Amino acid sequence: MVNKKTKLHYYPGCTLKEKTTNLDNTTYAVMDLLGYELIEPENWTCCGAEFPLTEEKIVGLAAPVRILRQVKLEGGNEVFTVCSFCFNVLKRANEAMVTDPLKHKRINAFLKDDIAIDRVTGEKTTDFPEYNGDVSVLHLLEFIRDEIGYEKIRSLLKRDLSKVKVVPYYGCRLLRPKGKIGIDEPDDPSIFEEFLENIGCEVIDFPFKQECCGSYLSLSMPDAASEASYNILRSAELNGADVVALSCPLCYYNLDRRQDRIKEKFPEFHEMPVFFFTQLLAWALGVDEEVLGLDQHFCDPRSAIGIDKSGVEI
Amino acid sequence: MRIKLKFEENEKKFIDRVNELSGENIYSCYQCGCCSSGCPFVFEMDILPNQIIRLVQMGREEELIGSKALFLCASCFTCQSRCPKGINIANVAEAVRHLIEPKGKDYFGPQEIPVELADELPQQALVAVYRKFSK
Repeated sequence: MVNKKTKLHYYPGCTLKEKTTNLDNTTYAVMDLLGYELIEPENWTCCGAEFPLTEEKIVGLAAPVRILRQVKLEGGNEVFTVCSFCFNVLKRANEAMVTDPLKHKRINAFLKDDIAIDRVTGEKTTDFPEYNGDVSVLHLLEFIRDEIGYEKIRSLLKRDLSKVKVVPYYGCRLLRPKGKIGIDEPDDPSIFEEFLENIGCEVIDFPFKQECCGSYLSLSMPDAASEASYNILRSAELNGADVVALSCPLCYYNLDRRQDRIKEKFPEFHEMPVFFFTQLLAWALGVDEEVLGLDQHFCDPRSAIGIDKSGVEI
Repeated sequence: MRIKLKFEENEKKFIDRVNELSGENIYSCYQCGCCSSGCPFVFEMDILPNQIIRLVQMGREEELIGSKALFLCASCFTCQSRCPKGINIANVAEAVRHLIEPKGKDYFGPQEIPVELADELPQQALVAVYRKFSK
């Protein structure tokens, strides 16, 4: 008998459908194997990438709140993301709707007059209900720890990753601001290490796991970003790691796709493979190599997980 | 000897606006320097994060105009997680940027993106950098 899959809301975010389809595809693949059918909120848009830090920019809350309201209207009470930026923005916007009455009032007043047009019938709906922050926003690492459980993951492992020496790279958006995000303790996190241990990797600790990789400064101050990224990769190497695992498409861009520019600035730099945590999970759970999207990486990560040049598993 | 600070009207107004916009109380900073010691971009900065706060406390808007440091903040919140007074320094930097940005001019707009990078840049980086550094 085929088990019926549990429906679950998933917000991918803009980058996953374009530049990092490997993160999106592996998320779908692993959640399918774990027994979930993913639903994307209808007509989802970009979340805005940055939570507005000043009162003047409050309109930046409209997009994330609209997404969360849509999840609620579709009957969902939780939504998960894999992108650290989306997670940060959605979670903080949700929290603002609960704790900040002024933001709640202004954003709901702004969004009330949205007009939704049904794609099939052309029927228009408006006069939307208020959103009160009652959808819980989770990151997949949290969802695996708290709702799926590591035991289930361990029972489904198909491949041996014990030769993969990996450092977990949290970056900034999964952990901070302190007191607002709460995926783990910002100064001493362990959720990523636990996850990697439970999928069978050899986990290596390193001091740069919570440092910023340069984020969007790679556009406006490319040199400064290269140096920040170099410090992280160099520290991983010095601590004996072979690969870096992360969850944010922008960290992936800075740490993997910009390795050529890091090398320009620091000629002694050695290339290092970078994986999304879902790629490692998918590989451990027995997903086919094509799904992993490894040809999208700048630094070829195949040998690090035991695939030789012709694509054969060693 | 006691020294009494006296602010001009425009200096007071600037301090109040930063407090109001950022939602932080910048007077609570006692200049311990934890923010500057943890910031991953100090190596490029002309003035340090604690000095930004100090200049705001003194109402010295003029000295903040043209500072490179305000545009080296990636909002990673390392300073916030280490501040013993709980000040969210990234909020303060954003408020100051907002107040000093020349009207109608973007610090970083689409015209600054090199054409050869257009294909590889992740969407979230573009959205984030414009949210931060343009009007």
